[in-house]
Amino acid sequence: MANLTLVEAVTQALAWELEHDDSVVVLGEDVGINGGVFRATNGLQQRFGDQRVIDTPLAEVMIAGMSIGMAAQGMKPVAEAQFMGFIYPMIDHMVCHAARMRHRTRGRLHCPMVLRAPFGGGIHAPEHHSESTETLFAHIPGLRVVIPSSPLRAYGLLLAAIRDPDPVVFLEPKRIYRQYKEEVPDDGEELPLDVCYVLRDGSDITLVTWGAMVKETLQAADALAEQGISAEVIDVATIKPLDTATIIESVAKTGRCVIVHEAARTGGMGAEIAAQLADAGLWHLHAPVKRVAGYDTVMPLYKMEMQYMPSVQRILNAVNEVLEVS
Amino acid sequence: MSSNVAAFNINHYQFLDPAGNLVGNNQPAIAREFDKLVDYYKLMTLTRTFDKKAIALQRTGKLGTYASCLGHEAAQVAIGATMREEDCFAPMYREYGAQLYRGVKMSEILAYWGGDERGNDFSGPQHDFAWCVPIATQCLHAAGAAMAYKLRNEKRVAVSVVGDGGSSKGDFLEAINAASAWKLPLVLIIMNNQWAISVPRSKQNTAQTLAQKGIAGGLPSIQVDGNDIVACHWAMEKALDRARNGLGASVIEMITYRLSDHTTADDARRYRDNEEVDQAWAREPLLRLRSWLESSGVWDDEQQQALEADCVEQVNAAVEEYLALGYPGNESMFDYMFAELPHDLQAQREQALKELPAQPEGHH
Amino acid sequence: MKIFNLPDLGEGLPDAEIVEWHVAEGDEVKVDQPMVSMETAKAVVDVPSPENAVIGKLYGQPGDIIDTGKPLVGFLEAGETAEDVAAETAATHTEAIDTAAAADPQHAVTTSSDAEQSSDSSTQSAAASSSAADDAAQTQADDAEDERADTGTVVGAMETSDRVQVEALSTVGGVKVSPAVRALARKLKIDLSRVKPSGADGVVTARDIKAAAENPHLLAAEQQPPVSADEPEPKVSEPGQLGATASPDQARVQSQDPAPYGVETSHHPARGEWEPIRGTRRTMARIMSESHAQVVATTLMDDADIHAWQPGQDITIRLLRALWAGAQTEPGLNAWYNGKDNVRMIHKGMDVGIAVDTPDGLFVPALRGVHKATAAELRQGINRLRDNVRDRSIPPEDLKDYTIMLSNFGVFAGRYATPIINPPCVCIVAAGKLRHDAVPVLGGFEAHRIIPLSLTFDHRACTGGEAARFLQAMLKDLALPQ
Repeated sequence: MANLTLVEAVTQALAWELEHDDSVVVLGEDVGINGGVFRATNGLQQRFGDQRVIDTPLAEVMIAGMSIGMAAQGMKPVAEAQFMGFIYPMIDHMVCHAARMRHRTRGRLHCPMVLRAPFGGGIHAPEHHSESTETLFAHIPGLRVVIPSSPLRAYGLLLAAIRDPDPVVFLEPKRIYRQYKEEVPDDGEELPLDVCYVLRDGSDITLVTWGAMVKETLQAADALAEQGISAEVIDVATIKPLDTATIIESVAKTGRCVIVHEAARTGGMGAEIAAQLADAGLWHLHAPVKRVAGYDTVMPLYKMEMQYMPSVQRILNAVNEVLEVS
Repeated sequence: MSSNVAAFNINHYQFLDPAGNLVGNNQPAIAREFDKLVDYYKLMTLTRTFDKKAIALQRTGKLGTYASCLGHEAAQVAIGATMREEDCFAPMYREYGAQLYRGVKMSEILAYWGGDERGNDFSGPQHDFAWCVPIATQCLHAAGAAMAYKLRNEKRVAVSVVGDGGSSKGDFLEAINAASAWKLPLVLIIMNNQWAISVPRSKQNTAQTLAQKGIAGGLPSIQVDGNDIVACHWAMEKALDRARNGLGASVIEMITYRLSDHTTADDARRYRDNEEVDQAWAREPLLRLRSWLESSGVWDDEQQQALEADCVEQVNAAVEEYLALGYPGNESMFDYMFAELPHDLQAQREQALKELPAQPEGHH
Repeated sequence: MKIFNLPDLGEGLPDAEIVEWHVAEGDEVKVDQPMVSMETAKAVVDVPSPENAVIGKLYGQPGDIIDTGKPLVGFLEAGETAEDVAAETAATHTEAIDTAAAADPQHAVTTSSDAEQSSDSSTQSAAASSSAADDAAQTQADDAEDERADTGTVVGAMETSDRVQVEALSTVGGVKVSPAVRALARKLKIDLSRVKPSGADGVVTARDIKAAAENPHLLAAEQQPPVSADEPEPKVSEPGQLGATASPDQARVQSQDPAPYGVETSHHPARGEWEPIRGTRRTMARIMSESHAQVVATTLMDDADIHAWQPGQDITIRLLRALWAGAQTEPGLNAWYNGKDNVRMIHKGMDVGIAVDTPDGLFVPALRGVHKATAAELRQGINRLRDNVRDRSIPPEDLKDYTIMLSNFGVFAGRYATPIINPPCVCIVAAGKLRHDAVPVLGGFEAHRIIPLSLTFDHRACTGGEAARFLQAMLKDLALPQ
């Protein structure tokens, strides 16, 4: 059994599905012979051939549109957008077609595709390679948005995403693609979608986050533990549909909530979570819900990117603000 | 020093002229398969009758905005008649002639324009794509379908139709490219009816033809008289045959004319000459086919009258069916979002069913 | 020597390989003159000289990999010569050799003796040892080249680690479970506390959850309330049936084995459940805590003898009037005190906060202008407040800014109390249960009606004397017939 990094877990999941489900194909730019620019599809074309792992011309709209066509005809395409920064032309097909195919045909046609993309900043990349705009997809009815934060969850959630009969946007936080390894059994066991993962139990404050920010949030929780403050850490994992029940249950216990996300603040998923707490969790709260998020600025070039992204210190600052008033 | 590394020709094909005379050499067999031609004529007439009625329904408040297919009947019926059931069709939003041939019901077309998703859950081949509003996106869906057939070694072809306007769009060009890169079993039809709402063909592109866009992908690309059912039928058969036998995709530009407004919400008199429209009527598809059938002795006024009466009856029955559809029920807003309704939508569904009136006011 | 380190040649690349030197040690170079061609993961790049200088040392051979930020070229500083540099280099090379020698003892023997030679031949030895070191470096570089790690990214630089991490288990509610299994339990709506763990160390596994989802009978029984001592005795079996099979009722009762009295069972039968406190109760908890934290409370108690009252008098209105009487004597009790800024506001009039007990909790609406209201006006005001409180239509501004407080708690029971002041008030008077008491009068006893009064004052702002005089004035006023 292998110790895998997050990106290797992605590869393992893709390999499992390619092996066990003939209708699955992987397609995208440089996914075949090159194994993907992040090696996420490493070795797959060598193993499964170029009819299952397909190098496409440089045409994102085509990748999205054809995936929809294939999906509607009984295949399970797992398409890759090379970076989230290049996903935007695909939004037309994802919103106008993938998200609504089942609904608009009353179930006659449906679209079991997965659109994978590495996302998020922190690897000193050139412009447009560090985007975190998951909310664009989360807003769209009919799309699931899933973001793993560990090798185990990358494997299990990707399996679930591929097997799901409806479209899933699977965003892989590239900053933590290789940050550590974890034992990931290659057993084909999927993990549940649509629920949060409680990574750490706590009683004083609930920290809600996802993606690469799980790293900083857990570090903040450690720092708080040293001060005698017990923080509960929740990895949302499925951004949409959002499992607010788990978050509210936690806040009922702790009375305090800080949400951490890399995406820009305004209209980020933190706003949705805060709104849900205001709706169904208000009486549990002893203090306002704080969001630690990227600024509402263009993601800066790498000189400044670690200033943009929420740091452990900024998380602790928000926690302290909350604790001070409650 | 330069050498010529590529050159191309675009040929235009016509076998039945506007007056209804067979022209040219090597006319295809279909030109004289009168039983089929009569069937096609009947369907073309039904399509036109339906189309007229749909406009009337819109004008009387019984249908939402509707896109007429007036003038496109030959091209559309030819597409429908040459495709096999197992092939898949990715239309724009006007190709009723093809769809009716394939088994879609008139009441379903009306349901779609009448604001009811049940229209998209239409009869006919269940793998056909539904009407597509985002321009040219259907071309890539067809390319994807073609890819699926190729990967699975199925002898099936995907066919898509795009307008002259749509041929300007990236999705169309990417479909050509994909078809080229992968030798897809695909037929890309440019239904050039000369108008993209108010923008004439001349403003879309200054190349001599639109068909030649296929040359960029190295695809066989031809132009046919879209009002000539014989030419359309012949071109489609060739293209489908090529694709089905692994020889790749083709581009067919069908030259026709949009005799109606773009949709019922449009008034073409604002931007085009009546004279031009009148001239187009002289070239219209039903006229010339009828002429050919009559001059071939297989059609007469009596049959024409009977046909017209029958079409009216069929269309009226379809309208009845459409009007009897009723309100789909508030739960249908939710029940087709996912295979299994996720928890957040379950809560919203419950809420909606509680607080919404069972039917919107004024629903008939 | 001035060291020039390999700059980042683009996109955070970690290193580059020397392809070809365009200069040699000892050469004079001009600024921007290309010194070396370096190959990165993406391209071959020429590195120009950053200044006009003389090359002192080249830190590698073609084929060597140089890390970004590590020495690439050394430039001679003013006054330095090539020999100086060579000697310096020999010394450092010796160190390098010693390190390399750890892997290759053969080399160590040869080169250490070289290093002992004089400085004149040090160049030679330096050359010899440097070539040996270079060989070692070359071998290392070759090995590195063959095993050159895939950067695994087409842009940027990614944190890479082989560290293996194991995610912490959750132990909430005494159940050991991983985050994934806990999420699965939520998804399948399984109560974790009822699942029998099958994993090592008592950990609940995904299989356990799925099995429970498919076979609910696998879940541990919901906690049944134990049979209490009050349960009816089981039916006594008929004579002659002793030893026969017990009735089902009997069997069930007997098998449940009620716990002996006083011994805690695992079910904690006496215990209730935690519920969150909301609304007015929550506000009360907060205000009382704040009061307790700030106010220095002292309470005086006495009895008001209302024996002389004319019939038909309203106790509340008399109490309100008595308060004003007290305030006229000792205004300091009808005041606000701000401990933080150490200021006091003595009020010119009197708004009384009257404590009202409702099923929803404690309310303290303010009756305004008690100092100038007629009895009728007071009665009207009280009724209005009471109604507004009862139907919860009382606006927030009517629940604050009173100058003194009154509580009439004696409706049910209780004589004296230590009522709590809401800061910034400094005084609250509480009336207990009206009673008849034997009062000595002129050598005999009479039964007089008595209202017990308790006055709590904030000793930060008022003295005991002030409070006592206030209370005295109240008692005097209350003793009046009307």
